[in-house]
Amino acid sequence: MPAREDLNTILVIGSGPIVIGQACEFDYSGTQAVRALEEEGYRVVLVNPNPATVMTTPGIAESIYVEPLTPEYIESVIKEERPDALLSTMGGQTALNLTLELRDLGILDKYGVEVIGASVESIRKAEDRSAFKTVIESLGLESPKSVLCRSIAAAKTTAREIGFPLIIRPSFTLGGMGGSIAFEEAEFDSLVEKALRASPTHEALIEESLIGWKEFELEVMRDKADNAVIVCSIENIDPMGTHTGDSITIAPAQTLSDREYQKMRTAAIEILKAIGVDCGGSNVQFAVHPETGRMIVIEMNPRVSRSSALASKATGFPIARGSAKLAVGYTLDEVMNEITGKTALAFEPALDYCAVKVPRFETEKFPSAYGVLGTQMKSVGESLALGRTAIEALNKAVRAAESGYDGLECLELPREEEERILCSAHPRRLLSAWTVIKREGRSALDELSRKTGFDPWFLHQMANQAELESELERSGGVPSAPIYLEAKRYGISDARIAALAGIGEQELRTLRESENLKPCYHLVDTCAGEFEASTPYFYSTWGEADEGEPIGEDAVIIISSGPNRIGQGLEFDTGCTLASLAWRNLGHKTVMINSNPETVSTDYNTSSRLYIEPLTAEHVKDVLRKEGAKRVVVQLGGQTPLNMAEELEASGAQIVGTSVEQIRRSEDRQLFSAAISKLGLRQPKNRSASTREEVVILARQIGFPVLLRPSFVLGGRSMMIAYGEEELEAFLAKGIPVSPERPVLVDQFLEDAFEYDMDAVSDGENLYVGGILQHIEAAGIHSGDSAAVFPPYKSTPAVLDAMRDAARKIAKEFGIIGFLNIQFAAKDNVLYLIEVNPRASRTVPFLSKASGVNMVALAVKVWEGRSLAEQGMVDSTGYGEGRCLTGWAVKEAVFSFDRFVGLDPILGPEMKSTGEAIGTGATFGEAFAKVQRAVGTILPKEGRVFVSVNKKDRDTILPTVKELVDLGFAVCATRGTANYLFEKGIFSEVILKVHEGHPNVLDHMRSGRIQLLINTPSGRNSQIGGEDIRTEAVAMKIPYTTTTSAAAAAVHGIRYLRTGYAEVKRLPKTEKFDVSSKNDNISKSSVLR
Amino acid sequence: MIPNSYLILDDGSVWPGKSFGATPPAADSLANADVSFDGEVIFNTGMTGYHEILTDPSYTGQIVLMTYPHIGNYGDDDSWSEIGPESGREGLPGIKAGGLVVRSVYDGRVPAGRIKLNEFLKKNGVCGISEVDTRGLTLKLRSEGSRNGIIVGAGPNGDLSEEEKKAALLYLQSLPSMAGADLTGKVGTAEVSAINPEGKIHVALLDCGLKMNIIRELVSRNARVTVLPSKTTLEDIQTLKPDALLLSNGPGDPEPLESQASLAAGLLGKIPLWGICLGHQILSRAIGGKTYKMSFGHHGLNHPVRDEKTGRVFVTSQNHGFAVDEASLPDGFTVRFRNANDGSVEGIENTDLKLICVQHHPEASPGPDDSSWIFDLFLETLED
Repeated sequence: MPAREDLNTILVIGSGPIVIGQACEFDYSGTQAVRALEEEGYRVVLVNPNPATVMTTPGIAESIYVEPLTPEYIESVIKEERPDALLSTMGGQTALNLTLELRDLGILDKYGVEVIGASVESIRKAEDRSAFKTVIESLGLESPKSVLCRSIAAAKTTAREIGFPLIIRPSFTLGGMGGSIAFEEAEFDSLVEKALRASPTHEALIEESLIGWKEFELEVMRDKADNAVIVCSIENIDPMGTHTGDSITIAPAQTLSDREYQKMRTAAIEILKAIGVDCGGSNVQFAVHPETGRMIVIEMNPRVSRSSALASKATGFPIARGSAKLAVGYTLDEVMNEITGKTALAFEPALDYCAVKVPRFETEKFPSAYGVLGTQMKSVGESLALGRTAIEALNKAVRAAESGYDGLECLELPREEEERILCSAHPRRLLSAWTVIKREGRSALDELSRKTGFDPWFLHQMANQAELESELERSGGVPSAPIYLEAKRYGISDARIAALAGIGEQELRTLRESENLKPCYHLVDTCAGEFEASTPYFYSTWGEADEGEPIGEDAVIIISSGPNRIGQGLEFDTGCTLASLAWRNLGHKTVMINSNPETVSTDYNTSSRLYIEPLTAEHVKDVLRKEGAKRVVVQLGGQTPLNMAEELEASGAQIVGTSVEQIRRSEDRQLFSAAISKLGLRQPKNRSASTREEVVILARQIGFPVLLRPSFVLGGRSMMIAYGEEELEAFLAKGIPVSPERPVLVDQFLEDAFEYDMDAVSDGENLYVGGILQHIEAAGIHSGDSAAVFPPYKSTPAVLDAMRDAARKIAKEFGIIGFLNIQFAAKDNVLYLIEVNPRASRTVPFLSKASGVNMVALAVKVWEGRSLAEQGMVDSTGYGEGRCLTGWAVKEAVFSFDRFVGLDPILGPEMKSTGEAIGTGATFGEAFAKVQRAVGTILPKEGRVFVSVNKKDRDTILPTVKELVDLGFAVCATRGTANYLFEKGIFSEVILKVHEGHPNVLDHMRSGRIQLLINTPSGRNSQIGGEDIRTEAVAMKIPYTTTTSAAAAAVHGIRYLRTGYAEVKRLPKTEKFDVSSKNDNISKSSVLR
Repeated sequence: MIPNSYLILDDGSVWPGKSFGATPPAADSLANADVSFDGEVIFNTGMTGYHEILTDPSYTGQIVLMTYPHIGNYGDDDSWSEIGPESGREGLPGIKAGGLVVRSVYDGRVPAGRIKLNEFLKKNGVCGISEVDTRGLTLKLRSEGSRNGIIVGAGPNGDLSEEEKKAALLYLQSLPSMAGADLTGKVGTAEVSAINPEGKIHVALLDCGLKMNIIRELVSRNARVTVLPSKTTLEDIQTLKPDALLLSNGPGDPEPLESQASLAAGLLGKIPLWGICLGHQILSRAIGGKTYKMSFGHHGLNHPVRDEKTGRVFVTSQNHGFAVDEASLPDGFTVRFRNANDGSVEGIENTDLKLICVQHHPEASPGPDDSSWIFDLFLETLED
């Protein structure tokens, strides 16, 4: 059947900013879907306020809106674009929920918009737990025993009937948010209350616990002709009890017999049929009792998901693309799988390798949040590795997670701690099990399996590795070629083999060379070799036949950014993707290396070739050798590629752009400081202390406040601002080691300074600045967490000129070819350099879109020898700068604090945000209001504001409070602030602080009397004081600001909201953006027959 | 890996690995080996179902290479076996395949009541070889076609001498080709047996190496099944007076199976005729069609088949090295089912003559149950 001809324009809703549970997998799916639809000649209108995405890149979709994902803004878009249909399945839970809302509000009917992908009825059946349960039982399948409850009393009755432990699942939330496991009655009430609050319908399911059962997931595609295929089966190595997003998983399922698997397969297809999914993909989750084999259906998602992205990458079957084609009328047998070029989507993938996914946690940043995992997802990213065996893939995936483990490595823990971890859902449970196996050998397996719930099959594979490692350790010295090869077949890195054998890595390199030992590469062909495939997708293994010819010297290798983590996420992956497209448009071939299955960069047609490999120098060097390519780009993938630049160059790679020596110079504090003072620029005073005493001495010399940064911890943990001796003592009391090898950096902290971010591209001579972003919060908050505005809204021309001048000097001094990111601070009209990064930064996609200039394409052309002048980007003085095409563009950070119970959502020098949103507008207020809406903050138009500011902020906050009063807001304040306001002529209600008794501010918040909070901390003590308020605000979803400047910005936003407008504007399309694909090896003909 | 056994193909290529299951014979004592170690090497892309595959009579004379790297994960259970009711043939091995080639065999704990794959092969005297570059071998078989091979033990120092290799090749030359091979004598029942005698409809099932699940599917549809040896004559059938005849799956080339083809030809138009896999090929020959040997055949659990009548596509279990030549089919016989990947014939139908047969395995086991409705389609030919 051909594609539907009654549709012209299709609206696609994205998933919004990255939060835990909804990350770049939806950029990948959405981008694939948009391409699939445009191929068929449809006009696609896309809405997603996430500026970091590939999908919002002009040229990807015909018409792009970066407006908030709320019914009023979507209605405005619909009014403007008049789409015929809405594809509901590409934007995660956000898009599904929004689709239901639009339908309930009558907006879809009003404008005649048809829902395609998954019907509203099927979404309801799948998402409404009791409806779903009814469907499951009607099919003769089993659900966990459960009761849907709307009150704590009802939940208690249920608890008595089923018995503990119990799972509590709120309805209609993403990533299991608000869900938990109750082990005993004592904790039950508060957990139920939390779940009811998290659910938009105020319902939660109280359910029989299946903790410890085996967990499986099937990815299913079904079309309107009732054809269905299982794309992939996934088995969770972590048993039930850990959210599947937090579990280590393997594809295909390993421990099911054919009968068990076929039963599950048939059940999954029947479930899709009964729910009514008839044009797209879904996943269905099952639990299987490890002894009895009893099979329980857990849930299904009638849309593409994180696991469908994983399944697509694990199998080479493009689920999102297929789903989009099915949504417009094709059947599975009519859509060609471009990856194989031989098979239709009606062909079920057969794997001849294992695909292991390992979640990436932020245990360093939020240590208290990771004691035990549960039904609520807490990981921020994931890595995927392919290997011929499970253990090979597992070692590679653990390494690829970049969490500090090179593969299976032992933990050094006290025995009690080890025991606790083994018996609980813990991020380190697998490594704890490994530690036991290494210590006690194979005899420990049965006991381990009982404690951990890991199937004996997985533990057996680990025991095999432990025995091989013992052999390496026992014999010591350079291993024989067969033993080395065996170790490599287990996926063990050279560094680790060397450590086990007690030799240096260099000796292994010698062994490799003398014996001609190198990895081989296999194609991901979806058919286990049955057909000859033209797939450009590879993974490494050892000791088998090698496939694929070298791509040649002309190709460029792009090292991407690995698993998402706080500080290195989608923005970097988008840069890599755009670079690959730009190079291919120039007629060059590209090779992408990445381990992140959620991304567009790991889509099969982003690059000429794709390697799913851990991002370590060993793996990258092997790919370089295999492909016969030399040119490597390290500026785009964040810090990961930059960190291996030196080693790559030493092995003969040619680093594209800025030289390795200059990169090192910019990263070395001393060399950098010397260069900066030579240029006559200023840095905050900074020193390095190598003893505890020195920390104190230097802090006094520099003068408080100082920023203290331990140099050895990951992710800036323990970084802190000390306002005086007392806090300095507190910092040192944390037991942070200080030594010449691990110095503590002591920097002058510029209190109340304005901060700026600048992204630029240099060709060595001239400079193009994409834009300058001014942070809304004052200095002291990580640039990734700060709201920022383009163009700067409170700056003198002199300061801006000083920044431009400094940037030109730095670009020249460091021989920058390509990207340059500089963070500035200005205090009392004096400019300071905070940081210089010789790479693309987080804000490049944001500035590119707001200015209409694809900075990545610009840099690629520079790298290909086309100067900025030739590209027409600079004036006669050799300088160019982007301007904001949308008037104003505001970036706001998005946090996933609601995932971490009790975590203080205070911002500081350490980055905590998981994503970002953009708001654009003709006025600052409009842009600010929209961006707040986009991140889920509902600024009040009226009501009561709570003000509690420290002394030094009082004068600054006064005009803001006055404006709020003018707008009709009532004011309440803590005693000190209220007294001050009274002196200034503002009457406010005095409210008790938390420790002052009841009713205090928390009580007022809970009773709904407070609509906006302005609470600025000063120093460490008051930070602790405000913690309860901020934590409660997150839980109650009351907007709060912790800085005076953010409060002022909020007032601008409120003024806009009071106009009642929900204006939308298409993202401008300019000539400077050209991402239309002229790909070298992907055909456009995609449909059979 | 230090190899202790080798898979040797008839083109002289040698694939090192580690032995499991029965101990493979040394290269110089192949002729009097008392274990199974030889056959046509074919690959199967199923990610589950090794037990059903090993016990499926259609694999007689074949060494099975599983492309999925981990095999043996969930152990073996005799109740999953696919062998038919082998009355009068006691002592026949439970494993029909001649050998098993894998990348990694699991030798750890299996669920209670099951045995390890290693033991299962040992018990049945069948050789297995692990740690083989199964992907490299699959790509070779794909491009060159299936080949005969043997699994042999390594010499005393773990290698294979030139003499041993020569002896192995000599043995391989003596192995018959699968083309032209009538293997029905090696499989299937020798005696008539009646199953579910109270069944409402009476199906005669010609056992050319049938899979047990065919009987289960028929019985579940309230059929009385009479299993017949493959050499059954037209007169026998006429005496039996069944409502329909189903020709089963089985190993080898359909071309030499003349008696079975003429039996079918004699019944054409008299009673409904059904066929599965080899049975489908025999029926095609019975009506005057031709069959040919495919390069490497279809062996897997994931092949899409389109029902040309309804346009529906379903995922099927497949295992065949021969196929029906569409051009050779006489008028009146339509290609009802077609492989959605390569367009090859997956089933033919003649509603007037009540003939319907399929190339794939509607009884699955292993594989998806998506096409079990084909049995209903068979039974529909009895209604009018």
